[in-house]
Amino acid sequence: MKIGFIGLGIMGRPMALNLIKGGHQLTVWARRAESMQPLLEAGALAAAGPAEAARGNELVISMVADAPDVAEVMRGVAQGAAPGLVAVDMSTIAPAAARRIGEELAAAGVDFVDAPVSGGEVGAIAGTLAIMAGGSEAAFATAKPAFDCMGKNVVHVGASGAGQVTKAANQIVTGMGVLAVAEAFAFAAKNGVDRSKVREALLGGFAYSKILENHGQRMLDRNFKPGFKSWMHEKDLNIVMQTAHELGLCLPGSAATAQMFNAMVGSGLGEEDSIAVLKLLERLSGQ
Amino acid sequence: MKVGFIGLGVMGRPMALHLQRAGHELAVWARRPESFVDLPARVCATPAELGRCCEVVFTVITSSADVEGVALGRDGLIEGMAPGAVLVDCSTIAPEAARRIAARLAEKGIAMLDAPVSGGAQGAIDATLAIMAGGEAAVLERVRPLLDCLGQRIVHVGPNGAGQVAKACNQMIMVAAIQAAAEAMRLAGAAGVDGAKVRQALAGGSAASRVLDVMGERMVRRDFAAGIEARLHHKDFGLVLEAARQSGVPVPLTAAVAQQLNALMAQDWGADDTASLLRVLELGAV
Repeated sequence: MKIGFIGLGIMGRPMALNLIKGGHQLTVWARRAESMQPLLEAGALAAAGPAEAARGNELVISMVADAPDVAEVMRGVAQGAAPGLVAVDMSTIAPAAARRIGEELAAAGVDFVDAPVSGGEVGAIAGTLAIMAGGSEAAFATAKPAFDCMGKNVVHVGASGAGQVTKAANQIVTGMGVLAVAEAFAFAAKNGVDRSKVREALLGGFAYSKILENHGQRMLDRNFKPGFKSWMHEKDLNIVMQTAHELGLCLPGSAATAQMFNAMVGSGLGEEDSIAVLKLLERLSGQ
Repeated sequence: MKVGFIGLGVMGRPMALHLQRAGHELAVWARRPESFVDLPARVCATPAELGRCCEVVFTVITSSADVEGVALGRDGLIEGMAPGAVLVDCSTIAPEAARRIAARLAEKGIAMLDAPVSGGAQGAIDATLAIMAGGEAAVLERVRPLLDCLGQRIVHVGPNGAGQVAKACNQMIMVAAIQAAAEAMRLAGAAGVDGAKVRQALAGGSAASRVLDVMGERMVRRDFAAGIEARLHHKDFGLVLEAARQSGVPVPLTAAVAQQLNALMAQDWGADDTASLLRVLELGAV
């Protein structure tokens, strides 16, 4: 398939490379020309902008930072679009913003899918991302072969915006999950108990989770390199909390967790992995 | 002085009347014409027209977007107000929005004060509002005689935006106190103790506060008719949390209280008084 790919950062670059490996013909564009280089070396064509990345392609995919970036990129895509183009945004943005962008693209005859991912840089490189998609059946079907090159668990959740709602739900679970594991470890340590033993014991029981296993191990190793930067988790939880505010939805746990991430950004831990919330807890309890 | 007034709701209307009674010449504009009824004022067709005939314009409206629209939008104040004129915005909006609007007006030589108020409808009627001003001290001195008609405590907090920061702090403390009062009343009730007596007993001690006095009494009487509509506190908490986020300052209690306000909104109690936080706590009751 002929695919345009926009945004070649930590996530976008390996995702695009996996599409090339999957036999797709890529046209790429990124704001910084040097980030296009590895893709061009792998056989991709360079576009001069979003409109050109869309032109002549069946599918165009964006992986950028935030809603205003997606909106801007997609305005360009609409200009270059041929009838029947499917545009997929895989960034994490607010559900309401995704719906709005979907409506604007529909007016230009472009079918839009919001398809945020979970799994981090590791999942992007391995092609094992979880992909949660919102949009029409037909558009999802068009994008599915591309999704299969980038991810393992690909779910069509519902209509436009449903992918972002799912991603927000994912960030609620992972945000509170990381905090829960960190609190359990802080609790064990303050009680003078070996936390690596606690982790080992818990892994066999009902508290088992991927976060306890993977993030827990990195906490024990005190390896705070990202991974997933805590300022990005803070941004995602802000999407959750703003949506809750707009809907009249009571989310006390998410609210408390969001404040912990807020404190991380404010206290210089923003560039570290979200497991550095452990450091914050230790600081608060004088550990 | 020729004074303009935009926003003639629960707060704005009594404030405008105080200015008029003090001998100032009043001009008004409102989105809904029914707001003018019985108001001894010149009615203007647009904010720009109002701006043209006034030396000082007050705004008391709901959101950042509303203030921005009235001040800077098409037919907005910026098109009418003369260099040297002053906009006094008494609305509660984002500090950042206040700074942005002030900067745009300054390009045309129009001064602005962010001057949000606290004290509620009763404070507006009694002219006992607390006014927290952000902007240049000299501008505040020019309009101080007008502010004296509206409130008793007028504090120059700092440059533009500082007034709104102070108001955000005010809302954090006040609504958290309402939540604390509601939880205390709920605990007393659940333990079979008379909430009225508890409130009475507490009034003499360290937990005494204006909130416990006023809102606590409403809770005891189960009078949830709005003094200040809870939806406005809900809106303000959105602003506070965003400001905290931008500063990277953790506000765990504020965030928790915000969730109670979200629950309140979900029950459709937004037009009722914030004392309804008590009713949110009762939702889980058997």
